[in-house]
Amino acid sequence: MFNLTKLEHTLRLKPHLLSLSLEEAVKGELESLFVDKVIANLGLCISVYDIESIDGGFIFANEGAPTYTVKFRLIIFRPYVGEIVSAKLKESNRNGLRLTLGFFDDIYIPELLMPEPSHCKPDEDHKNQVIWTWLFNDEEYFIDGHDEIRFRVQNVKFPEIPKEQIGTKPFAPMEITGSLVSDGGLGPVSWWV
Amino acid sequence: MKILQENAGQLTNFEVLDFLKSRGAAKDPTKVLAPIAPSEFKVYDYLVQSVAKSQTRESIAKFVAECKPYKLTKSEIANIINIRPSSVVEIDPLIENLDSRLGESVEDLVQLVVEVFPPSPDEKKAEGTPELDESKGEDTADGSKAGDIPDESNFDDE
Repeated sequence: MFNLTKLEHTLRLKPHLLSLSLEEAVKGELESLFVDKVIANLGLCISVYDIESIDGGFIFANEGAPTYTVKFRLIIFRPYVGEIVSAKLKESNRNGLRLTLGFFDDIYIPELLMPEPSHCKPDEDHKNQVIWTWLFNDEEYFIDGHDEIRFRVQNVKFPEIPKEQIGTKPFAPMEITGSLVSDGGLGPVSWWV
Repeated sequence: MKILQENAGQLTNFEVLDFLKSRGAAKDPTKVLAPIAPSEFKVYDYLVQSVAKSQTRESIAKFVAECKPYKLTKSEIANIINIRPSSVVEIDPLIENLDSRLGESVEDLVQLVVEVFPPSPDEKKAEGTPELDESKGEDTADGSKAGDIPDESNFDDE
C-alpha cells in the first residue's frame, strides 16, 4: 500500500525559523507542505521519510529568507491495481459501499463490483443505509460492518480540481474503486475465516 | 516541486509502522507530545490493529527468504505480508494464476505464512467469539474449544 518517492523541492525558510537547526527547519517546512496532502497521480503523502540533501541557502535580492533546494523521500500511500486491502465499512447505500482506512476515506465499491448475486435491503437501524447481502449456495451472507472487509483495488483515480463546488460532497482528490468479485477470499473477513 | 523517482521502493505495512514507532508514536497515549502529525497518528492507528503489529524484521526477512521457491512477484510477497492469509481461500485473490503457478504447493505456502507470522495472543482471543468458535488449527492456547465444532475445520490447515 505504501511506497517511497524521491522528490526535489525548492523552498524558502522564513527567518523566524533561524533558531532551529537547518535540518529541523527544512523537515518542518516539508511536513507542512506535503503531509496529509494528495500529490496528483502519485498518491497521499503520509510522512517525510528522510532528507537526502539540502543545497543552496542563497538569499535572493529583495528577500529576507534563504532559498534551499532539498532532495528528500516521502512515504506515499498508493495501492496498486490488483492489491488486496483490508478496510472498515463506513457507509452502505444503494450505489454500493464506502470503506475507510481511518486515514483515507474515499474508497468506493460500486454495486456492479459486489459479489454475484447480491441484493440490498433497507437497514432498520440507520435511516438512509442498506444492508448488502450475498446469496451463495442458498445461504445469505451479510455485510454488516462488524469486521474488516477485504477488497481488490480496481482503479485509483485522481480527478481534477473543479472550479466550482459541485453539490454538497467535498471534493476528493484521490478516489479508490474496489471490487469484491472473486473466487473466494474477498468481502468481510468473517465470511472466510 | 520535481519528482525524481516515482517509486523508490515498496514498503510493507510493518515498515511504515516501524518508522512511525521510531518517531515515538507508540509511547504517547495523549497523541500531543510526540512529533507526529494527527494524520500520521491515524495511519498509526490503522496499522497497529492490522497484522503488522505482531510482525518483526526477522520474521519478514525469514518469510522473504523461504518463499523464494514459490516464485512470487515482489508485490505479491508484500501483499501476503500485509494481509497474512491463513487459509487457501484467503490467499486465492492475492496471487494471479494461482493454480497454474503453484498448484498443490499453495497449501505449503499457506502453512509457511502461518508458521512465520503467528497471530499474537490478543488476535487469537478476539477470534474466540461466543457463537462461532474458530481456532485456526494451531496450538490451542484456549484449550477446550478447538476441534469440538466440526464445521470450522474446513479452513484449518491440519
